[in-house]
Amino acid sequence: MQAGGSRELEARNYLEKHRIMELLSYLTSALLFFRPEKPREYLITILERLRIAKITGVAFPFFMDHSNIVAMFEMMDTSSKGTISFVQYKEALKTLGLLNKDEVLIDDGHIITLDKFRAEVNKRTEEIWSSF
Amino acid sequence: MDATTAPHHIPPEMPQYGEERHVFELMQNMLEQLLIYQPKDPIPFMITHLQQDNDNVPKIVILGPPASGKTTIAMWLCKHLSSNLLTMDNLMAQKFSSLAAVAREHYQKMKVGLALGVGVGVRHLSKFSQALMIQTIGITPRHVIALSAPDTVLIERNLGKRIDPQTGEIYHTTFDWPPESEIQNRLVVPGGISELETAQKLLEYHRNIIRILPAYPKILKVINADQPCVDVFYQALTYVQTNHRSNAPFTPRVLLFGPMGSGKSLQAALLAQKYGLVNVHCGQLLKEAVAGESKFGELIQPYFQKEMAVPDSIIMKVLSQRLSQQDCIQRGWVLHGFPKDLDQAHMLNSLGYQPNRVFFLNVPFDSVIERLTLRRLDPVTGERYHLMYKPPPTLEIQARLLQNPKDTEEQIKLKLDLFYRNFLELEEFYRQATTINADQDPYTVFEYIESGIINPLPKKVP
Repeated sequence: MQAGGSRELEARNYLEKHRIMELLSYLTSALLFFRPEKPREYLITILERLRIAKITGVAFPFFMDHSNIVAMFEMMDTSSKGTISFVQYKEALKTLGLLNKDEVLIDDGHIITLDKFRAEVNKRTEEIWSSF
Repeated sequence: MDATTAPHHIPPEMPQYGEERHVFELMQNMLEQLLIYQPKDPIPFMITHLQQDNDNVPKIVILGPPASGKTTIAMWLCKHLSSNLLTMDNLMAQKFSSLAAVAREHYQKMKVGLALGVGVGVRHLSKFSQALMIQTIGITPRHVIALSAPDTVLIERNLGKRIDPQTGEIYHTTFDWPPESEIQNRLVVPGGISELETAQKLLEYHRNIIRILPAYPKILKVINADQPCVDVFYQALTYVQTNHRSNAPFTPRVLLFGPMGSGKSLQAALLAQKYGLVNVHCGQLLKEAVAGESKFGELIQPYFQKEMAVPDSIIMKVLSQRLSQQDCIQRGWVLHGFPKDLDQAHMLNSLGYQPNRVFFLNVPFDSVIERLTLRRLDPVTGERYHLMYKPPPTLEIQARLLQNPKDTEEQIKLKLDLFYRNFLELEEFYRQATTINADQDPYTVFEYIESGIINPLPKKVP
């Protein structure tokens, strides 16, 4: 059906443009993690903060802040040599929801240090948040 | 396996919270609204949507031929569910597109739901694509009821139709006569109810409805309108109050209750086999602990030797150790043989292992006696027989069968008394439980349990 097909395409484009799936995934994770008594009010507060942050340009309330990223890195880097392998890096990005399904990361042979990991996570998170 | 590839240990509180608060459905509704309206600014839109909080309002469409009783049923449903009725008349029979716009406004603004009595409107919905279009602009009913009755019945019924010009309510000379005489006096015969006209309307209805019904595949229910109004109403009401199966991720944590001989172990085994749940039989757990000579086993053994009941604290420790294991959390569990009374139930709750489906298996006393007293064991092969349901094949085997001393009638009576004494308290504690008639063959009972697990819990009427 012609009408159905184009509506579906429109819907998909809309989802991607506004990064709706990432936003919903963030909201769901926040709900399940903090388990507030009143889920709707809690969601409204988060969305309000996002809206204000977008208007005023203030830093967003990230889910993973600095100490969490460090902790995650240390969990993966079991022998504390300061670097993680490429496979681990890719898996970690996937778990955090920061990797698009179709995106292919190229292993350029460089090892991944904590700083590089943190920079990449921050960069991708900001990319997602800026489109809200 | 390092931290990135190991399976995630999700604390059980998370899925429990998600199920209780229907987080999945919440998100799904929000996503639906976003996709339908596609606002330029999604965040303020989502804020308004959440504040409206109208996900669970009734959204019903009633379709049917003339004289099937749509308006009456729609009005009764509205009164019962305290929602609003939208008919073609009160939208003043506008053109199709403006009807849709007005309906959509009502839909969005009202905190209360609406029941759309689309009778005459069927004429407007003459194309499948039109029905779909209504859905894409946002009028998505959650329940669609189609009334059906043989044409002859409808033609006859339409002849008795009378309308009250003041309130607009529809009455009938035979089936639905108003009690007050003042209403009786002012009733008017509406136009267009002669046999010929009704027959023509019916023809048109049949032509159109065939194309519309497939537009609502999963939410449609056909109710026979050739019965008393009250029956049709009750069927419609129960249907409208049931939720549809959702796509939410769901790990079943099932609790099976029932007296001895009700078939709990059998049903648990069937469930474990079919759905991969972990079968947790409390008595078995304790025996395994003793046999495995673990530290719990040493604690429990003296009680077994003296044939006394094992104290609750020890049972709780063994049980919580089993239920907190990763396979139970991931795959779900079926618990039976526990709790036996209210204290144990409270303890189970306090540990955080709340079941999300509870079933009470009901069996009358005689059936229990029949099932249990006729059990026999063959000491040579170890095969279990039942003199009625699974008799031994040869007389030779029959001669040497033994009966378990616990299966005598007196012992069974004692145990049943104990069970029923605690039954009422447990029934009150687990108010969301489903009662099943376990006095049938095992596969029928299994099907009932399955449908109880798969379908969402019935909504309690406030």
